[in-house]
Amino acid sequence: MDDALARSEAAGPEPLPPPSSPSSPPTVDVPRPRRSPGQWLQIFVPYIPSFVPLAIVAAIVVTLVLVTGLAPLNGLFTSKFAPTPSSGPASWGILVFVTGSFLTAVPALFFSMVIGLGIAIASVVYLPRIVTRFLDPCVDLLAGIPSVVYGIWAYLYVSTYFGSTLNPFLFRNLSWIPGVGGPAPPLSGLGLPISVFILTLMALPITTLLIRDALRTVPRDLWESGLALGATRWEVTRRVSIPYGRGGILSAAFLGFGRAFGETVAVAMVINVEASYPHNIFQGTGTVASLMFSILDSAYGNSQFLAALCYMGLALLAITLTVNVAGRYFISKLSATEIAGL
Amino acid sequence: MQPNDQLSGSTRHRSRMIGTGIAIAVAVVLLIVGVGAGYVVGYYTHTSSSNSSSSTTIQLTETGSTLLYPLFKYYWFPNYTAPANGPTVILSADGTGSGAGQTGAIHSLVNIGASDAYLTNTSTNGVLNFPVAISAQYIYYNLPAPLNTVHLNLNGTILAMIYAGDITTWDNPLILAAQTAAVQSDLKAMSSETIIPFKRLDASGDTFLFTSICYESWSGFPFTASTSGLSGDTIPNIQSATGNGGMVTGMQKVPYSIGYIGISYATEAASAGLQYAAVGDNLSASASGGTDLANYILPSPTNISYDANLGLQRLDFSQYGLGVSLILGGSPSGAVDLGASPGGGGTNPTSTSPTPYPLVNLEYTIIKTSPTAGSAVVTSASLLATVQFEQWALSYGNFQSNGAGTVWLNAVGFLPLTPEVIGYDVQELATVST
Amino acid sequence: MALPSVSTGATPDDNILFDRSARTRWRIGFDRWAGRLLPFLFLVAILPILDVVYYISKSALPTLTLKVLTDTSYRDPDALGVPIITTAEMMTLATLLAILFGLFGGIATAEFLSERAAGWARTFANMLAGTPSVIVGYLGYFAFCLYFGWGYTMIAGVLTLSLFMTPYIFRIADLAFSSIPRHIREAALGSGARPYQYILKVGAPIAFPQILNGVFLAVAIGVGETAPIVLTTHGSVILPQSLLSPAQFLTATIWENFNSPFPVAVALALQAAFILLVVVVGLNIVVRIISARYRKRLEGLFQ
Repeated sequence: MDDALARSEAAGPEPLPPPSSPSSPPTVDVPRPRRSPGQWLQIFVPYIPSFVPLAIVAAIVVTLVLVTGLAPLNGLFTSKFAPTPSSGPASWGILVFVTGSFLTAVPALFFSMVIGLGIAIASVVYLPRIVTRFLDPCVDLLAGIPSVVYGIWAYLYVSTYFGSTLNPFLFRNLSWIPGVGGPAPPLSGLGLPISVFILTLMALPITTLLIRDALRTVPRDLWESGLALGATRWEVTRRVSIPYGRGGILSAAFLGFGRAFGETVAVAMVINVEASYPHNIFQGTGTVASLMFSILDSAYGNSQFLAALCYMGLALLAITLTVNVAGRYFISKLSATEIAGL
Repeated sequence: MQPNDQLSGSTRHRSRMIGTGIAIAVAVVLLIVGVGAGYVVGYYTHTSSSNSSSSTTIQLTETGSTLLYPLFKYYWFPNYTAPANGPTVILSADGTGSGAGQTGAIHSLVNIGASDAYLTNTSTNGVLNFPVAISAQYIYYNLPAPLNTVHLNLNGTILAMIYAGDITTWDNPLILAAQTAAVQSDLKAMSSETIIPFKRLDASGDTFLFTSICYESWSGFPFTASTSGLSGDTIPNIQSATGNGGMVTGMQKVPYSIGYIGISYATEAASAGLQYAAVGDNLSASASGGTDLANYILPSPTNISYDANLGLQRLDFSQYGLGVSLILGGSPSGAVDLGASPGGGGTNPTSTSPTPYPLVNLEYTIIKTSPTAGSAVVTSASLLATVQFEQWALSYGNFQSNGAGTVWLNAVGFLPLTPEVIGYDVQELATVST
Repeated sequence: MALPSVSTGATPDDNILFDRSARTRWRIGFDRWAGRLLPFLFLVAILPILDVVYYISKSALPTLTLKVLTDTSYRDPDALGVPIITTAEMMTLATLLAILFGLFGGIATAEFLSERAAGWARTFANMLAGTPSVIVGYLGYFAFCLYFGWGYTMIAGVLTLSLFMTPYIFRIADLAFSSIPRHIREAALGSGARPYQYILKVGAPIAFPQILNGVFLAVAIGVGETAPIVLTTHGSVILPQSLLSPAQFLTATIWENFNSPFPVAVALALQAAFILLVVVVGLNIVVRIISARYRKRLEGLFQ
C-alpha cells in the first residue's frame, strides 16, 4: 500500500480530463489501488486454515460418494434390508434404519426437552443462586461421560432392571396402545426402551444448558414488571420468558435431536441391533449410526453392501448437518461462551 | 466517507463473490494437496517400514472368528515364541466374526484371518485355507428346571423349522417326538412357551455351520448356507447377538431361548445356566421319522473325532484344497459344494465311526500366499513370521511334547488335527512365497 | 385509630390466600407447588451420573491393583498397562494434530476474515462438530486404511481422532480471540503492531487460558471416542512400536469385552471404564475450574 501511494504522489496528481460538454458533469478517474502479490497473499492466506473444517467435511462427503460410486442399488428406498437373501436379488432398503433412528431419537428428544425445560425453569426461576451454582455443573457433567461408559453401564446394570421390571410393567398395562402389544418384551431388557433412556440422558445436558441460557437472557426489568403486574413466577415464565427465549429453546430441540440421532456406540450396545422393523416397541431395531458401526465388519468384501452403508452415511450426515446448522442458527441471542463446549 | 466506498455496489458484490469463490477453490486445493500428501507419506512410510521391520519386533494382527478367539487370545498368542534366530514376534487377537476374518485376510488388512468357514475362491484371492484345529458347535437352550439338567434331542430339520418360523413353541409335536418319555412330559408341562431363537448379527462362521446343517437336513429351509445366511431371518421372536460371547450373554438373559454357540464357550455357557442338546446324526432320522433315540449324539471328544474322520474322507485336496465341510459327516457331493442336493446326503454312521456328532468343523486361518505390494501389513517379513507361526501351531500348538498344546486345545474343547490334514497343511505352506 | 385486634390469620384481611378468588388461589398454589416439585427433576439428571459412577467404581475398584494399571507384559494380557499408555500416546499425537489443524483456523477466523466469511467458516466448524463419530470413522477407514494402504494402524486412528477433535479447538480459538476486548485490540493495532505481533504478544497471553481450556475439552471428548478408533485401529497386546503398528485404545478395550461371557474380560472392561471415567470427569472439572478463574481474570480487563 505504501509503495503505490508513494509512487502516485511522486508522479504528481493526475491531470483532470477536459470537460466534454457543459451538460455532463466532470468525471474524475480515481486510481484503483493496486495490491502487490504480498498483499493478496496476506488477504487470502488466512482463508486456508479457516476452511480446514470445510475441507474435512468435503473429504467425508467425497469419500462416501466415491465408495457408493453412485450405484443405483436395488431397493434403496424400500424397507427391506436383505444383503444375502435366499432367493432373488439383494435388497438394500435403508428406510428401516432411518425409521429406527427416528423411533429412538424423537421420544428421546421429547423426554429430554420436557425434563430439560423443567430443570431449567427450576434452576432459573425457583432455586436460589447458591444452589444452582452447584447443581448446574452437575447436570452439565452428564455431557462429559463417554458413550461407551453409558453403554456398558446400561448393558450390564440398567438392562436387568428394564428386563425384569419396567418392560413387563409397560407391556402388561399399556398393551392396548398399538405398538405395545404383540410379542412379549425380551427379558434381557435390551431394545428400544433402554435406548430411548440412554439417548434422553445424552441429550439432556444439551437441552438443559441451552434452555437455561435462553431463560437467563430475559432482561430483569421484563421479569420484574411481570411480577409487578400480579403474575406468579410460573406465569411470568410461561408467558414472558419462554416466548422471549423461544430461539434458544428451538435450538435446544434441534441440537438435542442432532445428538440423539447421531449417537452411535451407546445405542449399538443396548439396542439389540436388528435389520428389520420391530414388531413392538420392546424389540430391537437398527438405527443408522449403530448399524453402520456394528455391521461394517460384515460388509468388507461386498461392494454393494459398502455402497449401501455409505448411502446410509450420507443420509445420516445430511440429517445431522441440517439439524445442527438450523439449531445453531437459532442461538444468535445467546452468549457464545456458554455453548463452546458442545 | 463510508468504508468500502472505493467500490460501487455491483462490483463490490462481484468481488465478494470472487473472494468466496477463491476461498472455496483454496479449500478444494487444500483437500487435493492433503490427499496427495497423505498418499505420498503413506507410500514412503510403509515402504521404509518394510525395509526396517526386521529390526526388533514384528507384530502380527489377527481378526475373525469368535470361536477361535479364546484359543488365540488366552492360550496360543501369549505362549508363542518365535524361532530364536529371528525377530521377536507378538500376535494380537480380535474377535470380529468369520466374515471379517475372511475379508480382512483377503484385503491384507490383517496378517491372519480366523474363520470357521472355508473360502471357496482362494486362488482368485491369493489366500489359503489353513486349518489349525478341529472344533465343534453346540446347540444351547435356556430352559427352566427340570429341563436345564437334561439334554434335549434335536436334529437339523427341527432346528431349520424353528429358524424358519414353522416351529414356534417348545411343546411342538415334532420336538416331542424326538424326546424320551420323561422329557416329553416335562416339555408338555411348559404349556406352549414360545421358542426364542438367537442368531448371529455379524457375518459368522458359526452361522455357516448352523445353516449348513439346516440346509442339508430340510429342503424347505428358506435361507442359504453362508456366514450371513440368517441375516434375512425376520421371524417375530428372533433375537440377534454379536459374537459367540454375545450369544452366551444374550441367551442367559432370555428364558426359553435357543441358539448355536461354539465349543470354546462351553464353560461360560454352562455357568450362564445354558444346556446343550444331543443332535441327530442321521439324515434319515428327519423330523418325520426322527424318533430313534440312538441317533441323537452328545458332543464328546470321541464323537467329534468320529465325525471328523467321516468328513475328512471326502476331502479333495487337489480340487478344493483344505476347504471341506464336516457337517453331518461331510456334504454329499464333494468337499465344497454344499449347494447340490440339499436335503439329501449326510452320513450314516459306519462301524469305525459309530456315533459321530454332526456339528463339527475345521478351524481355519486364512493367510496370503505372497506379500501384498503397497501394504503396510502383509510384508515379506511379516508373512515369514506368519508362516513360522502356522508351523508352530501345527506342531507345538497341537501336540506340544510335554502336553501343553493338548492342554490348550482341551481348555477350549478343540481336537488336534489328523496327520493327514497336517500333511496337507505343510504342503500348502510350501506354496507361500515370502 | 385503634389497631385492629390480633388475629390468627384465618380472616380474609390477613391471609392473602383467602383474600382472592378461587382462580387466584389456584394460580398461586400452582406456582408454589411448581417451585417445590420442579427442583426434583434435577434428580433425573443427577441420579444417573451418581449411579454410573457408583456402579462402575463398585465393579472395578475391588480388583484394581497397581499391577492391573501398569503391567505391560504381553504374556499375561489381562492388564490395563498397555491400553493406558497407548491411549496417552495416541491422545498426545491426536491433540497435537488437532491443534495444528484447528488453532490457526480459529485465530484466522477471529482476526482476519470478514464477517461474512467468518460466519461461513464457523458454520463449517459447527457442521464438523456435529458430524457423528461413526461417519468420521468411515472416512478414516476408507481413506486411511484402505486407500492409503495403512491398514488397521495407529496412524489411521490418530489421524481420524484428530479430525474429530479439530472443530472443538477451532471454535474455542475463534471464541477466545473474538472475546478479547476491543480496546486492547485497537490499542495494540493502533500502536503499530502487525497482526502477527498482536496475536503472539497480546492476544495469545490473554487467550491462552481459554485455549488451554479448549484443549482439555477436546482431549476429554477424544479420549472417550470409540467409533473412529474401532473402525480404523486393530487392538494390540503390546505398546505400539511405530506409527504403523496396531494400538489398543482404552475405549476399544471396553467395546471388545463388554459382552464377553468370560468374567475376566468383563472385569477388564469395567476397569477400563473406571479409568476412563476418572480421566474424563477429572478433565471436565479442570475445564470448569479454568473457566471460572478465567472469567474472573477477564473481568479486570474490561475496565
